[in-house]
Amino acid sequence: MNGAMNTATDSGSPTIQLLYFARVAELTGCRAETYALPQGIPVTGSDLLAQLARRHPDLAGASRLRLAVNQTHAKPSVVIQAGDEVAVFEPVTGG
Amino acid sequence: MIVVQEADFDAGTLQAALRERCVGTAGALVTFTGYVRDFSSDDATQTLTLEHYPGMCERELEDIARQACERWRVVDYVIVHRVGALPRNAQIVFVAAASAHRGDAFQACEYIMDALKTRAPFWKRETLASGRSFWVEQKESDTDRTRSWDGHPSKEAS
Repeated sequence: MNGAMNTATDSGSPTIQLLYFARVAELTGCRAETYALPQGIPVTGSDLLAQLARRHPDLAGASRLRLAVNQTHAKPSVVIQAGDEVAVFEPVTGG
Repeated sequence: MIVVQEADFDAGTLQAALRERCVGTAGALVTFTGYVRDFSSDDATQTLTLEHYPGMCERELEDIARQACERWRVVDYVIVHRVGALPRNAQIVFVAAASAHRGDAFQACEYIMDALKTRAPFWKRETLASGRSFWVEQKESDTDRTRSWDGHPSKEAS
């Protein structure tokens, strides 16, 4: 099966830039990381969160995780593309 | 005008500048200022630390303001939100909406604040006088308020 055509280079897998904020940054222990997308299969926001839960088991301590893709709020069904900037955070509390 | 900054602001100056920009057109100017308050009556707040997502924050605020201008007759507006470590009683946010009539100005200002609280990527970490420190949880009442604007009448004759 050949899925979405990503911007894979000869040197490696297609990647996304992950950004973590507030409690999520505390739980993952970092504010940003580059993440290699699995090749050949589309990855949704929910898939990504499930993969991140395995990568950062402490994320279980977060209440509700939200996503923004390329600086826009995104639903769990969003399909992540190579090169995307994906932010993970808990519901916002400004104002 | 949309500004996200660490520095404090002078609400009076912001209001005067907005008024100056709307001379002759705005018959109503509604402002809202939000302050750091105590977490509870028996546990005072020492510091409220605001983190934000630079870039997305400004984009969301611009989108919220654009929606307010589409729904009501807004002549001009101001949104200023602070980030960083804010002491007890500090100013956090200022929103002002200017309109020909008060109905549009009241509603646009309230809508901007309600939408800001559930959409703009800011997060508050509370540090209490007792030393306890924690991330603030989003309130159900805030999401309910934002949702209540869906289908709310707008741009009615006022």
